Amino acid sequence: MGTITTEEMMLNMGPQHPSTHGVLRLVVTLDGETIKAVDPVIGYLHRGTEKLAEDLNYTQIIPYTDRMDYLAAMLGNYNIVHCVETALGLEIPERAEYIRVIAMELQRIASHLVWWGTYLMDIGATTPFLVAFRDRETILNFFNELSGARLTYNYMRVGGVKWDVPPGWVERVGEFVQYMKKELASYHQLVTGNEIFLKRVIGVGAYTAEQAINYGLTGVTLRCTGVKWDLRRDEPYSIYDRFEFDVPTATEGDCWARYRLRMEEIVQSLRIVEQAVAQFPNDGDFMAKVPRVIRPPAGECYTRMESSKGELGTYIYSEGKDKPYRLKFRRPSFVNLSILPEILKGENMANTVAILGSIDIVLGEVDA
Amino acid sequence: MLGLAKGLSYTLKTLVGKKVTLKYPDEPIIMPDRFRGIQHFDPEKCIVCNQCARICPTQCIDLTGKKPDDPEKKGKVINTYDINFEICILCDLCTEVCPTEAIVMTNNFELASFSRDELFKDMKWLHENNTNVRKEQH
Repeated sequence: MGTITTEEMMLNMGPQHPSTHGVLRLVVTLDGETIKAVDPVIGYLHRGTEKLAEDLNYTQIIPYTDRMDYLAAMLGNYNIVHCVETALGLEIPERAEYIRVIAMELQRIASHLVWWGTYLMDIGATTPFLVAFRDRETILNFFNELSGARLTYNYMRVGGVKWDVPPGWVERVGEFVQYMKKELASYHQLVTGNEIFLKRVIGVGAYTAEQAINYGLTGVTLRCTGVKWDLRRDEPYSIYDRFEFDVPTATEGDCWARYRLRMEEIVQSLRIVEQAVAQFPNDGDFMAKVPRVIRPPAGECYTRMESSKGELGTYIYSEGKDKPYRLKFRRPSFVNLSILPEILKGENMANTVAILGSIDIVLGEVDA
Repeated sequence: MLGLAKGLSYTLKTLVGKKVTLKYPDEPIIMPDRFRGIQHFDPEKCIVCNQCARICPTQCIDLTGKKPDDPEKKGKVINTYDINFEICILCDLCTEVCPTEAIVMTNNFELASFSRDELFKDMKWLHENNTNVRKEQH
């Protein structure tokens, strides 16, 4: 029997597709079931945050950062205030730093929980989604009590945080950490050993460390190839140098490695929160003395931090005025997404969603 | 198939566990005190300093002042005060800068309506939105 010749087909996936996690559109060229080429089309959620910021003062930019990675708004908040504080050379009160670290690590857990739930939903399991959202809800309630909002917190300020912690909040966070540590075993029971799940992820969407570095990948997408790089450990900001935690890595570079690393990161974040709760100062200011009008000195400033997706950075070019002349966000979702066409080439069409989901993108951040 | 069976046993366990869903909207949700809902505005307290309109990142606040009726009094009093909830992001910055707490947050958050025009709230409406006002102020 001779080989069957098939015709190439163009398939449009998205922008309204539940598994693209927002409004990503993929134009896929298929040969039968095999992917020949992928062309991601982005920009459906582009709001021009960087351009808008040129007309806003530094406090006004903070609510806009909530809306970039809306699953990890606390990290986005910290990203901008950290850069302005560095440019100003501000010293942040210890209590504020502890509140920030607790908020940021809880946010990282919440972000990974959403990833865990939706990723498994993408590849066909509905129960984990509900389990993950149940526990994420507890974290969102903590943030609601702290900042008055469930998703878009607008909580951090240049020099500290907006509110002090409510009475009993820190203790309840401590209790949640203990609960979550136990509950993670159930997560593994539910999913990690599942044979169908393992078949869908092991060896799927693999790439090498060299490819990852060439594409500028950061976060879990880099660490899954064996590169031990975490800004919290390698370039400590805030008070991360006071905590003990590991930077988990894997070597396979596939979806399975990325899954394991995110689950392990939740454990490490819980460790950090536990230590921060234990060391939490009894009193002190939650806001530094900041001039009423914030004017960073003329010049450039770039700072970066480890968000739940990877390296999140802010570049500010200031002319010494209350508004930035130019502001640029280095958004990990955008950069990590760039490897997608490369790793999808030659894969089976059914694996598209499994591979895309494992990169963990948020379209608010991709498009900004 | 052991892994699959283990997972199913967890699912069965949650079947008899405590329910986590809420009965909203049949039962209202009580938000914590700091919750940022729709603003309440008190015209008596407003000194027409314009700070809220200036700090607003989306420029959703429009206000005008007038001379007080009493010619003896100095300064201005508020004439009109509108918030466009089509673009308001409830970021809380207006209440943060208000020196007299004329504009404060409430716990009310239900804004859905059938027309866009209804999202344009004037001073009278904002003044009457006086339930569940946030106790903790800046």
